[in-house]
Amino acid sequence: MSLYLFQALNGIGLGMIYFLISVGLTIIFGLLNFVNFAHGAYYLLGSYLCFTLVSLTGNFWLALVVAPVAVAMLAWVTEKTLIRRAYHLPHTFHILITLGIALIIQELSIAVWGPIGKTVAVPDVLSGVFRMGDFFYPKYRLFVILFTAVIALGLWLLLERTRFGALVRAGSEDAETVSLLGTHIHRLFALTFALGVGLAGLAGVLAAPIRGVHPFIGPEVLGLAFVVVVIGGMGSFSGALVGGLLVGLVQSMMTTIWPQGASLMIYGAMAVVILLRPYGLFGRA
Amino acid sequence: MKTTNNQVSIFGGVTLAALVAVVLMPLLLPSATLATEILIFALAALGCNLLLGYTGLLSFGQAIFFGGGAYVASLTMIHLGFGLMGALLAAMIAGAVLAALVGLLAIRRTGIYFVMLTLAFTQMVYFLAYTMSDWTGGDNGLLDVPRPPLTLLGFEVSDLTSSHEFYMFVAVMFMLIFVFARRVIHSPFGTTLIAIRENENRASAVGFSTNHFKLLAFVISGGITGIAGALYAMLLNFAPLSNIELLMSENILIMTIIGGTGSLLGSLLGAGTIVMLGDLLSSIWPRWMIILGIALIAVVLFMPSGLWGGVESLIKRWKERRRNSAERAAKEAEAK
Repeated sequence: MSLYLFQALNGIGLGMIYFLISVGLTIIFGLLNFVNFAHGAYYLLGSYLCFTLVSLTGNFWLALVVAPVAVAMLAWVTEKTLIRRAYHLPHTFHILITLGIALIIQELSIAVWGPIGKTVAVPDVLSGVFRMGDFFYPKYRLFVILFTAVIALGLWLLLERTRFGALVRAGSEDAETVSLLGTHIHRLFALTFALGVGLAGLAGVLAAPIRGVHPFIGPEVLGLAFVVVVIGGMGSFSGALVGGLLVGLVQSMMTTIWPQGASLMIYGAMAVVILLRPYGLFGRA
Repeated sequence: MKTTNNQVSIFGGVTLAALVAVVLMPLLLPSATLATEILIFALAALGCNLLLGYTGLLSFGQAIFFGGGAYVASLTMIHLGFGLMGALLAAMIAGAVLAALVGLLAIRRTGIYFVMLTLAFTQMVYFLAYTMSDWTGGDNGLLDVPRPPLTLLGFEVSDLTSSHEFYMFVAVMFMLIFVFARRVIHSPFGTTLIAIRENENRASAVGFSTNHFKLLAFVISGGITGIAGALYAMLLNFAPLSNIELLMSENILIMTIIGGTGSLLGSLLGAGTIVMLGDLLSSIWPRWMIILGIALIAVVLFMPSGLWGGVESLIKRWKERRRNSAERAAKEAEAK
């Protein structure tokens, strides 16, 4: 029984990290109508920055704040210089440009950090296990679940209860009208892109002590994020949450039985959802 | 992207240019193996170009057809004792059938959902190939793939063991497929594909059943890519799992786009440039793929017709300059 609980918690932790990656992708798609194939690469960058900051300062908390902000700033610069030139082009062009960006980030990362994976130590406060009766669970993984839950709540409040969130939601419906009503839509686009990509960077930081950093993880993360976004529905916040948890749970439950089977299942689910319900489980037609 | 509606003869300048390139490559390049690899990837890019350049379909499924062709050719040779042409035929059919299956489902959606479906299928097939390691060798790849001799009417023409002889065989295959692809593109069928690329709604409003055309484009693309995969396995004597990876699809796409979508010579140029760059640079600068990333962005934003488009505009400018100077000379002669 406790093994199932253990794996369920693992799945939730993993799922919340997938949620963080996917929610950025989905918000960017919703507002900007932009397909970001570089999302996995920014996650990778978040992980590597975490590694560098932790090995330089020994302070994980610093990395937790600085790395996502740095990734978001880089995203903001990319948006200003490259991404915005592509908004008016078809989705195919978005995919190709961001594929190029992903390739550059990945290769530069290998040039800086080397082709061999790195490990990041769990911060001291959170090392060891949390025990309740005869059930043990790593403290850091518990922290990831709680922390991402807080971030998810904060993000929900940001999107639902603030002026910025209202603009993002309105812009997702009809960006042109929002722009005509006097909002500086390009600034909104740039901020949203930076926010979405920053969340991928944050996910990279949080995952680093659990899974380590591998230079070729970007495409894998990107693929999973697309599964989540498609299953949940492109542009849907709650879809990303449920989709992320679903994928995380399936992966964690299958790891001991048949890990490749997990990938087969989730990509199969993605194909089935696109064919039968292209707007996802939570999206609107 | 340019339209190619004008009537061109099948054995016209473009085919001649391809032929010249194919003849010169082994003479100019350091090894025949490198030249063979270029032609194999040029075939894969050609298959990709039929979908992306001529029909406007961005498919991440090319690795399925490439890897599928490699596996089927290898397995039929190892287990069923197929000869060279038999194995290539099997790979072509396998690629075409796989493409028909992928296409049948993927073309039910358009735009980003179409792309996502091809991506999902590639991932599924990859994990399937990984799991079925009894057949595919899993992570280790399929080892000891033979390269059977070329026989014609029972006579052995060549044993294809030398890299030059194998290059010549691949070159003949390439030219045959190149001419076939050109024939397809300049047929009414090809013109309809271009119409779909330019405006699918209009093509369907005019009365074309666009899904049938898209499906057939998939089948042809899959068949060509399957042959390329089979030749690649014969070249390496090995069918690695990476043949069927998403990354292979990306590489084929990048070759097609950098070379120039919508022109067959572009595919040869793209595959040639990238395979050669990789061969030249990977030993001195392992991170050479940064160049590909930059080139990809540059081509998409500033040079949508790719390297071949650049070459074409140079040729055009050169011709114009020649015509201008001829006109000037004529005027001067008149003035006198």
